[in-house]
Amino acid sequence: MRLYNRTLSTVAALMTGTTLIAAPAAAFAAPGEAGHKHDTAAIGEPAKATAKTRTIQITMGDNYYEPNAVQVKAGETVRFLITNKGEFLHEFNIGTAAMHAAHQKEMATMMEHGMLTPTGINKGMAGMDHSRMPGMEGVSMKHDDPNSALIEPGKIKDLTWKFTKNTTLEFACNIPGHYESGMVGKVDVQR
Amino acid sequence: MHTAPRGLSRRNALKLAGAAGLAGIVTAYPGRRTFAASGPPLELPVERTRITIDGETSNAIAIGGSIPAPTLRWREGEEVIVHVTNRLDEPTSIHWHGLLIQGVMDGAPGFNGYQPIMPGQTYTYCFKLRQAGTYWYHSHSASQEQEGMYGAIVIEPADRDPVRADRDYVVLLSDHTPEAPEAVLRKLKVSEGYYNNGKRTLVDFFRDAGRDGLGSAMRDRLDWGKMRMDATDLADVTGYRFLVNGKGSRDNWTALYKPGERIRLRIINGSAMTIFDVRIPGLSMTVVAADGQNVVPVKVDEFRFGVGETYDVIVMPTEDKPFTFFAEPIDRTGFARATIATRQGMEGEIPERRPRAVLTMADMGMTHGMDHDPMAGMDHDPMAGMDHGSMQGMDHSSMPGMNHGSMPGMNQNSMQGMDHSSMAGMDHGNMPGMEHGSTASQNQAVGWADAGTPPDAKALSYADLKSFRAREPRAPTHEIEIQLTGMMSRYIWTLNGEKFDEGAPIRVAYGDRIRIKFVNTTMMAHPMHLHGMFVELENGQTDRMPKKHVVLVPPGQVTSVQLTADEPGEWPFHCHLLYHMASGMMTRFIVEPRTASL
Repeated sequence: MRLYNRTLSTVAALMTGTTLIAAPAAAFAAPGEAGHKHDTAAIGEPAKATAKTRTIQITMGDNYYEPNAVQVKAGETVRFLITNKGEFLHEFNIGTAAMHAAHQKEMATMMEHGMLTPTGINKGMAGMDHSRMPGMEGVSMKHDDPNSALIEPGKIKDLTWKFTKNTTLEFACNIPGHYESGMVGKVDVQR
Repeated sequence: MHTAPRGLSRRNALKLAGAAGLAGIVTAYPGRRTFAASGPPLELPVERTRITIDGETSNAIAIGGSIPAPTLRWREGEEVIVHVTNRLDEPTSIHWHGLLIQGVMDGAPGFNGYQPIMPGQTYTYCFKLRQAGTYWYHSHSASQEQEGMYGAIVIEPADRDPVRADRDYVVLLSDHTPEAPEAVLRKLKVSEGYYNNGKRTLVDFFRDAGRDGLGSAMRDRLDWGKMRMDATDLADVTGYRFLVNGKGSRDNWTALYKPGERIRLRIINGSAMTIFDVRIPGLSMTVVAADGQNVVPVKVDEFRFGVGETYDVIVMPTEDKPFTFFAEPIDRTGFARATIATRQGMEGEIPERRPRAVLTMADMGMTHGMDHDPMAGMDHDPMAGMDHGSMQGMDHSSMPGMNHGSMPGMNQNSMQGMDHSSMAGMDHGNMPGMEHGSTASQNQAVGWADAGTPPDAKALSYADLKSFRAREPRAPTHEIEIQLTGMMSRYIWTLNGEKFDEGAPIRVAYGDRIRIKFVNTTMMAHPMHLHGMFVELENGQTDRMPKKHVVLVPPGQVTSVQLTADEPGEWPFHCHLLYHMASGMMTRFIVEPRTASL
């Protein structure tokens, strides 16, 4: 909380809308917008699945993914079908290690404020605009980044993503402590 | 696909350990995937040896040829056979700390029909591993544990481990004295403060008086005097060297990593007497298990570590540099140090030492209602001219009867907006309700719980521990209160005021769900250990109370736990401070089978 408040506020100030919560999210919200260091093309972009889209099934457990490595081609669109078979709330988030590190701080804040619990999403709070709450200025706690899916125990979600160039990406769960426990997989983007 | 990389990493770790010349880290069954009781028994001779720490050699006792004893890497579900041969000229024993086990295999002489292993004899332990996680083993005879009889147990889970790490290290903390343990205990009995180098003196008293006023100093002194204790008695044995995996701070035990790797540290407090504050400056630690049991991961910067407890933490250093693993005993008489490094020979910075906490009356739970008779009619005149300048915001309500009228020349106006940074060394003992906040952490730690944690750091609290797996809470049907009692001046430590086997044992019926309430009436923290069963700590959780085998009960506080008495037998239940147990702080916890008539 205390350390990255300023970061969050700064990010919010840079953005026109406040529904997206952080640096990595901002990259998708405003591709090409001046003043932001994240390069959208670096990780790819959300896409729509078609009949021809390849589907990769991912199972989530406590606290791991199965499989924990996937291979994709640069330019390929992949539909991830993710099933949470664990007892805890998990995330499937595509990004770089640095993006995950930033997102972990936000997730910790959301957990601290009760918007997320270890086992689920507090629906009463999650959609609220908390940007005027003391200590949370400019931070909306809506978790709707296009590169991420929050999946409650027993639920299935899909996320379709177009990988643009070959780079080192991870799919990761940024719920506090899960990434550290090893809930992260490698995305091998090949030419 | 999960087990293969783990096996590999363990072999790598083993190779590294070999390269580092670590006698203490040995894998019992390296690389084996399937186990059966028909496997070769493990041979663990117990013999006298010499140990060299930071260049100084002293007498010690080794299990399996090393100090610490070999790390036993087993797998859940496996049946193990261990032959322990006593090559000492005194009886010995080995207790498997934290293991759910048949009573006679638990290894505590005088309990469950287990007899000490006599000189020349071999005892065959045979048991099935019913759990996974980090545990340890040690002698349960005399003070042999203090002399080097301790080692780590790592049990791989039968199914998938919820934690995936690239490296896996045991970090076993201990305290070592070149003195014979019997001599330590004898000295403790002769003079309560023998080892308390920070003992308050008459000079301290006058310093306190000048600082806090004679009334306050006198009252504090009288309180401590009545309890026959010293306000600096955080730990009662000093003169220790603090070891990591049997290495002194100059020996510098080193764990290797490559930047970006996840390192699992299985940290065990195998000390005889030392409660530590543990941190790794520059790295946060994600606690993934407590006392061998998985917990919902929680990220912390430091934790207080009771004797007998274990914590598994994950650290992820991304930079190529050395990090110092730093464990300071709470009385700050030294430190244990190790290095997490990318190559051998690297040394991290030794962090600034934390201040030693001064205990307060609040640590006795006696702030209110104490009889201060000796103060009646006290003349406060000596307080004239005292500088109360830095007392803004203090709550004086706990100082009834003080006549402030006799404080001529005091300028109350100057108490506004003062700089508290000059409050170092002030004893706030009698001033509950005062916000100690950050001022306390800067120069002086006040009260047992104050580890000197900086304001921007997170220290693990018991309240942060949540069992990884939820359990259906079952309400206790009855409650047992256990008073933790003692008389420091004669070095008698007791439960409910009675020495071991002088008081009545605790009896519960098999299957009973009970609450145990520890009421610590002493000014020391006691790590309370129950053999045979886990207790569930009442820490605010309902279905995720963490399972513990040791619960550190702070001075003057009440801590409660629940348990289901599902292991029949006659279990030791004691303070894990070795000399406290030796002086009588132990009882029998008997789980009786239900009879037909019930």
